[in-house]
Amino acid sequence: MTRRLVGALATLAAILLAVAVVAVFLGSARLSPLTVLRTLGGGAGADSTENIVILGLRLPRIAAAVLAGGALAVAGVGFQALTRNPLAEPSVLGVSAGASFGVVVGQLVGSSGALFDTVRVAAFGFGGALVAGAAVYLIASVHGTFPIQTLLLAGVIVGIFFGAAVTVLISLVDIDRLGGVVHWLLGNIAPLPARSLLVFAALAAAGFAAIVSQARELNVLALGEEAARQLGIDAERVKVQVFVAAALLTASVVAFAGPIGFVGLIVPHMLRLLLGPDNRLLVPTAMVGGGAFLLVADTIARNAVAPAELSVGIITSFFGAPFFVYLLRTRRGVL
Amino acid sequence: MMTCVRLCGRSTCAVLLVAALLVLTAAPAGALTVVDMLGREVKLAGPPRRIVSLVPSATELIYALGGEDRLVGRTDFCDYPPAAKDKPSVGGMVSPSLETIATLKPDLVIATTSGNRLETFTRLEQLGIAVYAVHAQRIAEMLDVTRRLAELTGRQAALGPLISGLESRLFAVANAVRPYPRPRVLYVLWPEPLLVPASRALLTELIGLAGGDSITANERGDYPRFSIEAAVARAPEVILLASHSGSGAPPIAKDKWERLVSLPAVKNKRVHAIDGNLAHRYGPRVVDGVETLARAIHPEAFR
Amino acid sequence: MPVARFDGVAFSYPLTEPRRDRPFTLSDVSFELTKGEVFGVLGPNSAGKTTLIRLLSRVVAPTRGTIEIEGVSLAAMTRAELARRVAVVPQDMPQGLPFTVRELVLMGRYPHAPRRFFETSDDLAVAREAMAATGVLDLADARVGILSGGERQRVALARALAQEPRLLVLDEPTAHLDLRYQVECVALLRRVNRERGTTIVLVSHDLNLAGALCDRLLLLAAGRMARLGPPEAVLEETLLTTVYGCPVAVERNALTGRPVVQIAWRR
Repeated sequence: MTRRLVGALATLAAILLAVAVVAVFLGSARLSPLTVLRTLGGGAGADSTENIVILGLRLPRIAAAVLAGGALAVAGVGFQALTRNPLAEPSVLGVSAGASFGVVVGQLVGSSGALFDTVRVAAFGFGGALVAGAAVYLIASVHGTFPIQTLLLAGVIVGIFFGAAVTVLISLVDIDRLGGVVHWLLGNIAPLPARSLLVFAALAAAGFAAIVSQARELNVLALGEEAARQLGIDAERVKVQVFVAAALLTASVVAFAGPIGFVGLIVPHMLRLLLGPDNRLLVPTAMVGGGAFLLVADTIARNAVAPAELSVGIITSFFGAPFFVYLLRTRRGVL
Repeated sequence: MMTCVRLCGRSTCAVLLVAALLVLTAAPAGALTVVDMLGREVKLAGPPRRIVSLVPSATELIYALGGEDRLVGRTDFCDYPPAAKDKPSVGGMVSPSLETIATLKPDLVIATTSGNRLETFTRLEQLGIAVYAVHAQRIAEMLDVTRRLAELTGRQAALGPLISGLESRLFAVANAVRPYPRPRVLYVLWPEPLLVPASRALLTELIGLAGGDSITANERGDYPRFSIEAAVARAPEVILLASHSGSGAPPIAKDKWERLVSLPAVKNKRVHAIDGNLAHRYGPRVVDGVETLARAIHPEAFR
Repeated sequence: MPVARFDGVAFSYPLTEPRRDRPFTLSDVSFELTKGEVFGVLGPNSAGKTTLIRLLSRVVAPTRGTIEIEGVSLAAMTRAELARRVAVVPQDMPQGLPFTVRELVLMGRYPHAPRRFFETSDDLAVAREAMAATGVLDLADARVGILSGGERQRVALARALAQEPRLLVLDEPTAHLDLRYQVECVALLRRVNRERGTTIVLVSHDLNLAGALCDRLLLLAAGRMARLGPPEAVLEETLLTTVYGCPVAVERNALTGRPVVQIAWRR
C-alpha cells in the first residue's frame, strides 16, 4: 500500500512539476525561454522587467494556483467522504458562500481612498466563513451529534442565504465597483506577495494534516456511523475535525483567490477513477493533483486571450459542467 | 547673518534660512513627487516618459493634449481617437495583464478607482511601478484631470488652447439655451431595469448645462435603479433614451415608453434616442455630449 | 470469569418521549455470558433486542446499571479496546460500497492499531484467514457492491472475525438470506464457535433457528427479561403465546430433541 501511495505521489508530482515549468515559460510578456532560464538562475538585474515578470508575477501566481488547487481538492475529498455523497463539494457546505459574503463586505466597507489590502480582505473572508460554518454547525447538530443528512441540508440552506446576501450587496454597489466585485466572484488567482503565500501555505498544510490524519477513519465511516463506532472510531470527533478542516481549507482559498468552483468536485473523482476509493491514497494525491489541475486551468486563463485575462473560475466551470453531466450519465461504480 | 536679521526681521530670516536648508538638502535633481487625485504622493524619478493609461478618458485627453508620444500602453477600451488603437494593449480595465504592463517598462500608470480594481493599484505598486489615480464626476474635475495630465506629459502649452476651446463651446451652448424654459428631462441609461443618472453622475451635470432639469438629479448614487412609477409620477417633458449600439439605431424600449400616453413627453412627441457613448467618458468629447443633449432638449435653440 | 455481564441495566433513548407505561426501553436486565457459549436473544419488535446490541457495543451507554466485558467495565474501556473484544455483524451493509472485499475485511483490523496509517502484513494474514473461514477468499478483489446478499453477509462476518473478538454479536444474521444461505450461515457459526471458541450472541426473529443453534436463550418482552435459560425452558407454549400475543404450539424435533415452534395460522 505504501508503495502504491508513493508511486502515485511521485507520478503526480512529476506532472505538477512539468506543468509548473511550462507555466513559467508562458505569459503575455512573451519572454524567450533563454531569458526565463537566465532570470531563474539569478542572471537578471534586480529591478529588470524579467525579474518582475518571472519572480514577481509568474512564480507567485503559480505557487498560489498550486496551493489553491490542492486545498480545494483535499477539501473535496474530505466533504465527499464525510457526507458519503459523491456530489459533495466545498461549496455545498455553505462555507464558500459565507467567505464570499465576507470578502464582498470587506471590499465595500472602507473608505473610497483606502487601498486594497490582501490580508485585510482575507481576514474578512475568514470571518464570513466562520460565521457560515458556525451557522451550519448550530443548525445541523442534534443533541451533540452531527447527522450527515442534516449537515448537508444545513449547508445548502446557509449557502443559499449567503449567496442571496451577496446578490443583494451587488445590486447596491456603485456601478464603478461592480466590475471589480463581479470579477472577484468569478474566482481569480493573483500573484500573492510572499507574506500572504506563507500564510496561505500554512493554512493549507494545517487543513491537509487534519484531514489526512483521519483518512483511515473516513474509509471506515463509509460503513455507516454505527458500524464505525463499533469498530472503535469516535465518529463525532472525526466528523467535526474533517468538517472544520475542510471548511478552513475552503475559507483560505476563497479569502486568497475567490470562490473557484468544481475543482473540489472533479479532482477527487478523477483520482478515484485512477486509484480507487481508499482515502489514504486520495487525500495526499489530491493535494498534488489538485494543484496541477488548477495550475493548468490558470495557465489557460492567463494565456488564452492574452493580454486580456480570463477568470480561472470560468475555465474550471467550463470543464466542470460537462464533466458533471458525464458523471451522472455513466454512474461509474466507484461513485 | 546678523545683518540679515537687522534688515529683515527675525521671522523672515528664519524663513529664508529654512528655505536655504531645504534647497541644500533637496532631493537629487530631476526627482519629482506629485500628488494624485486620491491625495496619494506618487514619487517619480523624473517627468514620466513612458505612460500606460488604464483609463479610456485619460487616453482621450492625452491625445487631445498632443502627448501621445509618451503613451506606451492602453486598454482594449481605449478606442478613441482611432489612432489609439495603434498603441499596444494591456488587456481590459478590470483585469489588465500585469506582465504586459511590466514589459512595457512604464514609469507611470494612470488608473481610476471607477473602473479599475483597487487590487490592480496595489499589485502595480508592489512591483515598483508608480500609479497615478484620476477621477472625475464633474466637468470641473475633468478640467482638473486635463491640467494634471498636461503637467505629467509636459504639454502645458497645449492646455490653454484645449481648455479655452472646450469652455467656449460650453458657453455657446449655455447662451443658446438660456432664453428657453428648462423642461423636466428623464434620461434613460438603460430601460429594464430602469437605470438613471443621479446626483453623482457626470450626465446629470451635462443635462443641466444643456438646459434641462433632470428629474432624477437628486437621487443618491451615480446610476441607480429607479422605479418606472416614480419616473411617471414626475411627468417628464422630454425623454432621452440612450442607445448603446454603435449605429445609433433606436433603442429597444422606445415603443414601451410611447405607450405611456399620459406623459407630457409622449404627448408632445419629445421621446428621442441619443448616442449613449458620448456622455460617459470624461474626456474632451464630453462637450460633444453637452451639445448633442442641448440639441435634443432644445431643438428650437439651434435652428 | 464470564465473557460478559449485564448487571441491573436499564436504558431509555433520550430523543423519544418516555411513555407512561414504559419509561425505559430496557429495564432491569441482568445476565452473564459464559465463554464459548452460543447465546440467543429473542423477543417481539421493540422488545429491546437491538438496544441490547447497542449497549453491548457501547453505541449507547446504560442509564442505570453496569456492563462488563471479561471483568472490565465498558465505561472504563476505550472504544478501540472494546472493539478488540466485541465485534458486531450488522443486519446489512450500506448499498453501493466502492471497496473490495479485502479492503472491507481489513477494516476489521482498525481497533488493533488505530494509529497506524496502513495495515501490516500481520493484518493482511489475519484478514486472509478470516476470509478463508467464511469462504469469501476467492472474492477478495471483487467490489462489495456487486455481491449477492449471502456473500455480503459472509463478508461482514469475515470482517468481524478479523477483529479477533472474544465476543461475536450478530444482529438478525439470516434475515435477508435465502434458505440455502441460512443453512450455510448456521453451519459457519457453529464452526467458528467450535474451532475458535468464540462466544456468540445472536439476535434473531427466527425462533427455530435460535432454538436449534443456541445453548441458552434470553426472551425479552417490553424491555424486561421474560425468561433466561436453555431452549427447552424458554421456547415454551404458554410463555411464547403471552409474549408474542398469538397462539403457538411447541413440539420436539425427533432427531435433535430441540424444541420446534409451530404457529397457528388463522384461515
